[in-house]
Amino acid sequence: MNEEKLKFVIVGHVDHGKSTLIGRLLYDTNSLPEGKIEEIKQLCESLGKDLEFGYVMDHLEDERDQGITIDTAQTFFGTAKRDYVIIDAPGHVEFVKNMISGASQAEAAVLIVDAEEGVKEQTKRHAYILGMLGLSQVIAVINKMDLVDFDRNRFEAVKKDLLDFLSNINIKPSYVIPISAKNGDFIASKSGTMDWYKGPALLEALDTFRTRENANQNPLRFVVQDVYSFDKRIIAGRVESGIIRKGDRIKVLPTGEETRVKSVEEYLRKVTEAEAGKSIGIVTEDKLFIDRGNVIVSDGDMPAVTKRIKANVFWMDRAPFKKGESLTFRCATQEVNCEIEKISRVINSSTLELIAEDADEIKNREVATIIIRTDKPVVVENFNKMEELGRFVLGREDTCAGGIITELE
Amino acid sequence: MIVFAIDALEYTMVEEFNCTNLKQKFFGKTNITEFSQPRTMVLWSSFMTGKNMEKQILAMGDKEMWNTRIDMKDTFFKRFKDPKIIDLPGFNYVKEQHEQERVLLKSYFDVKTDEEKNKIRASYNNLAFEHHRRVKQEFSDALKAGHDFVLGYFSVADVIGHLNFGNRAMMKMIYKDLDEIAGTLKDSFIVLSDHGMEKIGIFGDHSNYGFWSTDFKDLGNPKITDFAGMIK
Repeated sequence: MNEEKLKFVIVGHVDHGKSTLIGRLLYDTNSLPEGKIEEIKQLCESLGKDLEFGYVMDHLEDERDQGITIDTAQTFFGTAKRDYVIIDAPGHVEFVKNMISGASQAEAAVLIVDAEEGVKEQTKRHAYILGMLGLSQVIAVINKMDLVDFDRNRFEAVKKDLLDFLSNINIKPSYVIPISAKNGDFIASKSGTMDWYKGPALLEALDTFRTRENANQNPLRFVVQDVYSFDKRIIAGRVESGIIRKGDRIKVLPTGEETRVKSVEEYLRKVTEAEAGKSIGIVTEDKLFIDRGNVIVSDGDMPAVTKRIKANVFWMDRAPFKKGESLTFRCATQEVNCEIEKISRVINSSTLELIAEDADEIKNREVATIIIRTDKPVVVENFNKMEELGRFVLGREDTCAGGIITELE
Repeated sequence: MIVFAIDALEYTMVEEFNCTNLKQKFFGKTNITEFSQPRTMVLWSSFMTGKNMEKQILAMGDKEMWNTRIDMKDTFFKRFKDPKIIDLPGFNYVKEQHEQERVLLKSYFDVKTDEEKNKIRASYNNLAFEHHRRVKQEFSDALKAGHDFVLGYFSVADVIGHLNFGNRAMMKMIYKDLDEIAGTLKDSFIVLSDHGMEKIGIFGDHSNYGFWSTDFKDLGNPKITDFAGMIK
């Protein structure tokens, strides 16, 4: 397995071949447990049918339920270039919830459309979600080309419909590929069935996408969890991105005070630096007032320090939000009170119909574009730039919504 | 008129696997609470006669009841000029087939080792699938033959379900196959099961309600004996 992994999600209308495509990807990359495909083939034959790749995931899920092999919430396969993780999105409600809450974040998406049926309402809804979540690496596949005799004109007609719709919501797929997941045409490699198509096969196209940049290469974001005073004053926290080194000049936000790192402290280890993902402590040269929720950064690319945030939120509480209610805003270790100043748009996350504009309430499972006003400045970033400080939750006693920051003021 | 009769078609699985063809426009559970137990022979016999046949069938004893052959004149099928009934228990089902299945089922629970059990399970499944393919073909031929009434009885969900109901992937493939068959029916049809099935570990046992669907009328919570008066 390679170090580099690209996480992606496959979305589209329920009958347009998502399961078949996943089964085919796993089969074509030799990622299935031994004997699995033979077992499915035999069952298909028992029912008088050809092998159907759409049942591969059902069989893997059964094994997971019996505790045997694979975790299908995240399904893995690899190409010569790198490894891939298909994030399971059983429905778009779960998909939005997972993306927003940070449970699983896709870096790319494959939007699947049936060549015979063309663009359907559900295709549009899913595409809309990709746009809302800011996913820019998108491949559209026009599936079931075998059912339309690999006809170029049909492909071009569906492609045009799709691109017309996508352009309205600012999505520009990097590739539009004609495929037959059932037969394996243009999945792992090109086939002779569609000589008129000169672009890459699906896996070749995926290989051209970039993974989320290695967090070490991003600017330093050290989120303070606590401050302990022993013989020295240790500021404990987690390096969300970048690397913190002894001697570095650092700035503490939101106050903006500056100092240098005197030492980096790791339990039972002598270190001089710590990289992204590490929970460590630091000692500063100057004794500054530092507290839980502060974010330590280096000079250069700075996050925003603001009290006003534009965001998309997914409401996850049975009790609706009503304007005027005070909530807790939590981002990394920051926790402040906030109010929702404006509810610009409310959308039904299931049908994606617009429910209201300039609304007064948000109900369970609705997605809303809102403006939040916090009572103290918070250190945040646009989600697409740095997800660790671009993702937040809103709470009452428990979490009632998750959101991503789309614009900063 | 077509009756797509499916043994042990479970309402919750039809929902879970979203079998839209089986569900049609209106669908629901049948009420079989008047029977002491959900027994296949009792329920289908009651269906075709429009009467609760539990007492008569049980009086025959466990073994003999499988030889039940109700006369056409005692069923609602007589209303039709040229009815075609395929493999229906209590009427004309292939006794040898179902006997072989029962023998294998019994030996599965009699043998001790996993190896023996797996071997029997494979033979049992093969036997059921082979029969299913034959019935499927016969049903398809009957639909083209111009009969004014066709009833196809499919036992695959019941037979396979008894030993494999906990194998969700296998059951899904069977339900989807039945759904595909329903999708090929061009004329008005009723889907009817005698009872459903509930999971007991990897196995399945009969549940206390059946399944119905139509595309012309909401039947509510009908009894299995109501259909004899309804189908004309």
